[in-house]
Amino acid sequence: MRVSSHHTSEAAAPSSWHSSLFMLAGLGVLLAACGQNAPPDRYDQSKMELKSPPSVTSSVRNTGAFSSGTGLSTVPEIKPLDPSPVKTIQLDTTHKIIEIAPGVKFSAWTFGDQVPGPVIRARVGDRIKFSMTNRSDEVAPGLKVIAPPMMHSMDFHAAMVSPQDKYHSIAPGQTITFEFTLNYPGVFMYHCGTPMILEHIAAGMYGVFVVEPKEGYPTKVDREYVVIQSEFYAKPDQDKRKVDGAPLHVLDGERLRASTPSHTVFNGRHNGMVKKPLPAKPGERVRLYVLNVGPSKTSSFHVVGTIFDRVWMDGNPDNQFRGMQTVLLGSSSGAIVEFVIPEAGQYIMVDHHFANASQGAIGLIDAGGKPEEKGDIEHHNIPATSTPNDPEAVKGKLDFESKCLACHSIGQGPRLGPDLAGVTARRSKAWLTKWLKSPERMLESDADAKAMLQEYAGVPMPNQNLSDAEIRQYIRYFQWADQQQHADVGQADAQRGKEGK
Amino acid sequence: MMGKLWREVVIGTLIGGLASAAYACGYCIEDKIAAVYDHAVVMRAASQKHQVVFFALEGQIPAGEESRRTLEAVVESVAGVDKGSARVSVAGASLSAAFNPRRTAFASMERSLSRKLAPRGLTVAIMRVMDQPAELKPVGKR
Repeated sequence: MRVSSHHTSEAAAPSSWHSSLFMLAGLGVLLAACGQNAPPDRYDQSKMELKSPPSVTSSVRNTGAFSSGTGLSTVPEIKPLDPSPVKTIQLDTTHKIIEIAPGVKFSAWTFGDQVPGPVIRARVGDRIKFSMTNRSDEVAPGLKVIAPPMMHSMDFHAAMVSPQDKYHSIAPGQTITFEFTLNYPGVFMYHCGTPMILEHIAAGMYGVFVVEPKEGYPTKVDREYVVIQSEFYAKPDQDKRKVDGAPLHVLDGERLRASTPSHTVFNGRHNGMVKKPLPAKPGERVRLYVLNVGPSKTSSFHVVGTIFDRVWMDGNPDNQFRGMQTVLLGSSSGAIVEFVIPEAGQYIMVDHHFANASQGAIGLIDAGGKPEEKGDIEHHNIPATSTPNDPEAVKGKLDFESKCLACHSIGQGPRLGPDLAGVTARRSKAWLTKWLKSPERMLESDADAKAMLQEYAGVPMPNQNLSDAEIRQYIRYFQWADQQQHADVGQADAQRGKEGK
Repeated sequence: MMGKLWREVVIGTLIGGLASAAYACGYCIEDKIAAVYDHAVVMRAASQKHQVVFFALEGQIPAGEESRRTLEAVVESVAGVDKGSARVSVAGASLSAAFNPRRTAFASMERSLSRKLAPRGLTVAIMRVMDQPAELKPVGKR
């Protein structure tokens, strides 16, 4: 209905005045209501705790466990959040030999005597009371080949503190303690900051600090895991020292400065999560806390067969992307990625910079599927700890695990290509050599090769441009693997004989 | 008696001032110490009741291995400094050396080192002294 325009101005004036008053009052109420419902500013600097007492350095040495405290776990595990608002965390530095790939013993420097260092989990507002003893001068029993003791330090990216006070280096035998409050949520790196920082990180001194938002994450998940990508720059020890019969490897300064890693790995181990996949089930929602340590390479983290429903850059839900295929992480960048496992299968985590993946940055999420359905994995399985002694077979194994696992397995059923268990019995050495040298030529002329192409849905084996030496190494590895199977069967027969079966 | 005390106060103040200068260089002194910390030197010095001193180097230090070796030779030419104990970091702009405090007072060793480095346009600022392992102390607190 239209309002009459025949009102006198005198008569109209009070009505108009009242309307305006009501409108203003209404607006005021509305604004007040909005003010009450507006969420508090999570990043209000005036409410952040930025004060902390000076660090204390002493010569009182911790002699107990190398790490302790609430909220610590070891990759890929991440324990649920401990609710205590004050967390006491102790991570000591050590020097030790670790195995970064089968048969590759590496002289590492550590936090908490492990690489990566322990996973720390806390929440915004928590107070962290940290202590660290430099125990690089402690020699592990039986080992005389570790790096000389040196100064170390701790740099928490999760903290807001004076680096000169809290992150200064301490000498072997010294202990530093300091505290701070967590102000921002995130997936933060921690690392040794002692010069040359590049060397200290490349030698293994890093870990992840997960800080949850004060109110928790906005989603619920069925599984949580930590994936830390990092590079190793290893070369055989000049003095040809050995550890448990395997050649010792030390930091390669030239490779390090040229950013040409010898290994790029997830969770400190070449293809580590291929042998020990992360379990999940179809339909489950998985959350990965991903950190790219570097020290010098970026990561294009991708999980084959899924799309990241949510990606929180640097692990902060306020930095959200939806429907991402890959998350690009520079050195010391982190992210939380969440996705649903759509169906049974083996979901492959890779750095989609495939040069990095081929150096070992690869892992699996095992959501069931073919290997389980076959029901005889155990029969063919090669013990995970088995490593050939022959250097050619060792090289062949490393190459196989780097380059072939996407299409082949040994004893875990066919993938895009055949299961290679027993391949040296099925094919002659000459046939295998020709096949590996030039599969396209074999497909033109060889009946077995043609039959195989048909069996595997017309997916041809790509020419890998292998040298003669590389082909020899692959075959040596396949021969070794087949010998292992025979040994297993022989042992089982012997056991059955003993038991009178 | 008073004269000796006065001299120690003056040296202490001077050293304190230099230590502050080291703090002002842009990153912490413990990192500079780490660049020239050699555990074997520390342990050898401790077994002989010698001390290890850590200095910041100020001035233009020529880059390269030869420069490092030359500077180490200069440090070891100072009376009282243990042979084979000098460590110089060109990148870290710092040096360390073990010395026998019974043979040479710290102040005279520091003066001698300063004199020998002066023609190269370099000065030293004391950072810490280690009179036993795991004890990095300011000079005044020994």
